[in-house]
Amino acid sequence: MGAVLTIAWRDIKANFASPKGSAIFFLFLLLMGLFFYNFLNTFVEMTQKAPMYGGEAPTLEQLLKALFYNLHFILILVIPALTMSTFSEERRNQTIRLLQVSPITPTQIVFGKFLAVVGVLALVLVCSAVYPLFIKAYGNPDVAVILTSYAGVFLLMCAQLAFGLWVSSMTTNQFMAFLFTMFGLFLLLVLNWIAPSISSTGGWWAGTLKYLASTDHLDMFLKGVLTVSDTVYFLCFGALFLFFTNVVLDSQRWR
Amino acid sequence: MIEVSGLSKRYGAVQALNNVSFSVGKGQIVGFLGANGAGKTTTMDIMCGCIGADAGTATIAGYDITEQPLEVKRRLGYLPDVAPLHPEMRIEEFVTYAGRLHKIPGTELQRRVSETLEKLSLGAVRRRLIGNLSKGYRQRVALAQAIVHNPDVLVLDEPTEGLDPNQIVQIRELIRSLAGHHTIILSSHILSEVQNTCDHLIIVHNGTVVQTGSYEDLTRAMKSGRTYRLKVARNGAAAVSDLADLAAAEHPRLVDAAEHELEFSLASGIDEAVLDNVARRMIDGGFGLRELAVKTKSLEEVFFQLTQ
Ligand SMILES: Nc1ncnc2c1ncn2[C@@H]1O[C@H](COP(=O)(O)OP(=O)(O)O)[C@@H](O)[C@H]1O
Ligand SMILES: [Mg+2]
Repeated sequence: MGAVLTIAWRDIKANFASPKGSAIFFLFLLLMGLFFYNFLNTFVEMTQKAPMYGGEAPTLEQLLKALFYNLHFILILVIPALTMSTFSEERRNQTIRLLQVSPITPTQIVFGKFLAVVGVLALVLVCSAVYPLFIKAYGNPDVAVILTSYAGVFLLMCAQLAFGLWVSSMTTNQFMAFLFTMFGLFLLLVLNWIAPSISSTGGWWAGTLKYLASTDHLDMFLKGVLTVSDTVYFLCFGALFLFFTNVVLDSQRWR
Repeated sequence: MIEVSGLSKRYGAVQALNNVSFSVGKGQIVGFLGANGAGKTTTMDIMCGCIGADAGTATIAGYDITEQPLEVKRRLGYLPDVAPLHPEMRIEEFVTYAGRLHKIPGTELQRRVSETLEKLSLGAVRRRLIGNLSKGYRQRVALAQAIVHNPDVLVLDEPTEGLDPNQIVQIRELIRSLAGHHTIILSSHILSEVQNTCDHLIIVHNGTVVQTGSYEDLTRAMKSGRTYRLKVARNGAAAVSDLADLAAAEHPRLVDAAEHELEFSLASGIDEAVLDNVARRMIDGGFGLRELAVKTKSLEEVFFQLTQ
């Protein structure tokens, strides 16, 4: 455990020491702020116009849902940027040797790196709480929904980070790592758009694809419902790719 | 202390190592010599468990690197080919980090780090950012990383590569000061480097060990007899033809006409008493003897001959 924390702590510090790390941090908050500003404007507009047209005014929960749902798109940009350097950079500039000749296992290295990227994004998430808090200050949203939404986004994020680590462990080229991670995450995002269109050809196929799609599993969290199957999906997803990363690191010792 | 046997490694079409075997005794300081691309880095990476071999084993301090890598790594310090430094860290912070990775207990860590920094004369600059350091300092920080946990075995891959002559002397002295506490294997493609530092040499060429032994062993292994250098006061060219009459002195030749410097060899088996005749001839011939000395083959030449 000591080694895991040592590695994680160094990585976190290195992340914030680099302009790239700080840029990611602020990019995330800035994008989220833009979304928030837009949605809030729409929300206010619709609330004002609703009585005129006899429709129902949108709820604060809908505003929150839109906000959290769009975090997904921000993550598709931010996660690859964060994970691309983890292993690729260390392998390219050979600092990976430091870890390789220390009396620690590949598993400890993987967990250390994972903890570091999770730590950085957790910090961003905490900072992003200003937006929901803003709504809380001026309205009366369901706090439980905000909390489950955060839990869902956090789990999603962990799973995606694990995927990014795996991609990064396989290349010494950061840019390739970024592209492939982004592509993979995008695929997971759109799987449930694809699934219905091929459902006519194969029943269980479409079901499986739909199960793999990450958006589907975030939905319930955003509605304020914690389900075992959704939680298990994210945990298994993350664990699987951490395991793959471990396999890659292990195999590099024999090649 | 180090036992390497039958290492082979292939990179695609390149056979980087082919059946490399050698051993290093406890407390020895051994030079691992070879031209660029000979396979030094590959061997050391395998020994330290960074990459795998296609065949063969490496045992350090009695533990096999593939069977018990953690036991080996506890007793091992490695200075790789490329210094594994994080530019955004400060020297002391980095060495502490390396110490933590090597499981130095928290109570000892501070003391070990300070000692190491002192030993490498880094104490005064401990707060400097690694990214801003000169090559010489960077190399010392990399060395600090390798010795902070006081390992039994030190593996140094071209520790003086890319340094200026002053820094080379400093690092060489450092390495010599480490001898005795550690078993050291250090690689180089510059021979004068290891000639003075190491008590034992291993010469690799194209992925195979071509020669092992002490510097003297290697010199003796050379096929030709000894060469002598002769300097006279005047008429060097005439002195050469005069020496040619003396059957025992082979291949007399003028190496520097302006300085009247000559060289000749004694065929193996000829007694050194012949040198008296050489000296007498020079004096009697009126050439004026100024210098007569053994010209030992430099390791450079030995090496060159071995790796032809
Ligand atoms: N990662 C690699 N991929 C392909 N070839 C390599 C790799 N590393 C080393 N080689 C080749 O293996 C041989 C030995 O290299 P190396 O061990 O680095 O030699 P040295 O350290 O003695 O200069 C060289 O021919 C080199 O080109
Ligand atoms: Mg090398």
